[in-house]
Amino acid sequence: MKKFCPNKIIIVLFLLSFFFLSPQKSHSEEKIFDADKAFQDYLYNTNLYRESHSEYIVARESYLKYQTLTSKNAALEKTRTMLKNQDEVVKTYLTTLRLKLAEVSGITNYGQNVLYLRVDDEIPWFKKHQESLNSAGTLEDLISLGEDGKEQYQETEILAYQTLGAILTSKQSVLYEEITQRIKELKEKIGEIRAKGDKNTSLAERWLLEAENRLTRSQEKQFNSQQLLAQMKTNDFNKNESYNKAQFAIEESHQYLKEANSYLKEVIRELKNAD
Amino acid sequence: MLIENNPDQNFENFPEIKEEKFVKEKMAKKPLFIFVFIFAFVLIAFLGLAIFMSFNQKNLTPKTENQPTPTPTIEIKEEITSPSPYATDAAILKKEEEIKDLDKRLQETDLKENKLNPPTLDWEIKFEKN
Repeated sequence: MKKFCPNKIIIVLFLLSFFFLSPQKSHSEEKIFDADKAFQDYLYNTNLYRESHSEYIVARESYLKYQTLTSKNAALEKTRTMLKNQDEVVKTYLTTLRLKLAEVSGITNYGQNVLYLRVDDEIPWFKKHQESLNSAGTLEDLISLGEDGKEQYQETEILAYQTLGAILTSKQSVLYEEITQRIKELKEKIGEIRAKGDKNTSLAERWLLEAENRLTRSQEKQFNSQQLLAQMKTNDFNKNESYNKAQFAIEESHQYLKEANSYLKEVIRELKNAD
Repeated sequence: MLIENNPDQNFENFPEIKEEKFVKEKMAKKPLFIFVFIFAFVLIAFLGLAIFMSFNQKNLTPKTENQPTPTPTIEIKEEITSPSPYATDAAILKKEEEIKDLDKRLQETDLKENKLNPPTLDWEIKFEKN
């Protein structure tokens, strides 16, 4: 009879334990890093920033009140953490915008690449800024680095608004192209019907003309919005207001697209009804 | 070999049975058995736990993604009282469907993206009393 060997059993069990208990990737880990995932990262970092900002305010007040070395050191550390988190917020925000831009299809390759390049230049700046905060030894150093960040963020805001504008415009462009295509097809169909002569097409043609007019107005509003975004300057006091104007112009442009489409519905209704 | 009632049998020089050795060997194997038993038990317990956790995770994972409640819309069925020869034309019906689909997308498109507005940050570091 074969001798019982516990050592072998131990080895087998040990190997089995590795096989069964090896870490398995969860569903969330398998998920690819897309705009939604980036947005979740951005929200998480925004929360961290808010917390650290509150702590910075408390530490600053404490230092201003007691002026002790301990309170000064605490203020230094809290300010540093807050500024680091702030940089992280900007980095994750820009990453979200970049991935969001990658998801839209109505933008030209050139326009998309220009924005990609600008965003890709911006993210390393904040990374460097974040690293430089480690070497700051005094509150004055941090104040100075904060000033640098503030100056750079003026540019970042413009880039962010322009990228957002491009995302909205590209959504609009896709719909615009589709309506243009529908108008073209209907024009051809009406041409065929007119040639056959079994249906009066004058009313349908009028609706089609109206649809084309709305399409032209929609494009005008879109250009208007692009101009507003392009005119934004770093020293603009309220960039948000300029962006809101541009965004409103896009909404107006969208409204014209809706009207154009409703006229196309009228064209169909007219073609389906007898004279 | 020992023979019963053998007068020549020398009980004085009878070889000693090394009982102590057997006991020692047995005692040495005992902790090994205990170790194997505990290890196997822990492994089975872990396996059970892992299976239980995976079942639980499967139950927790929503099968479908959250979708917003669709807004009820009143669809007015258009009645054609006197149809033209093109009322049943395949090309016209196809275009009608495409336009309806486009209309739906026009209504659903989000042209605000408010959640992507730039974050409001406090860059102004001040350590002066107001």
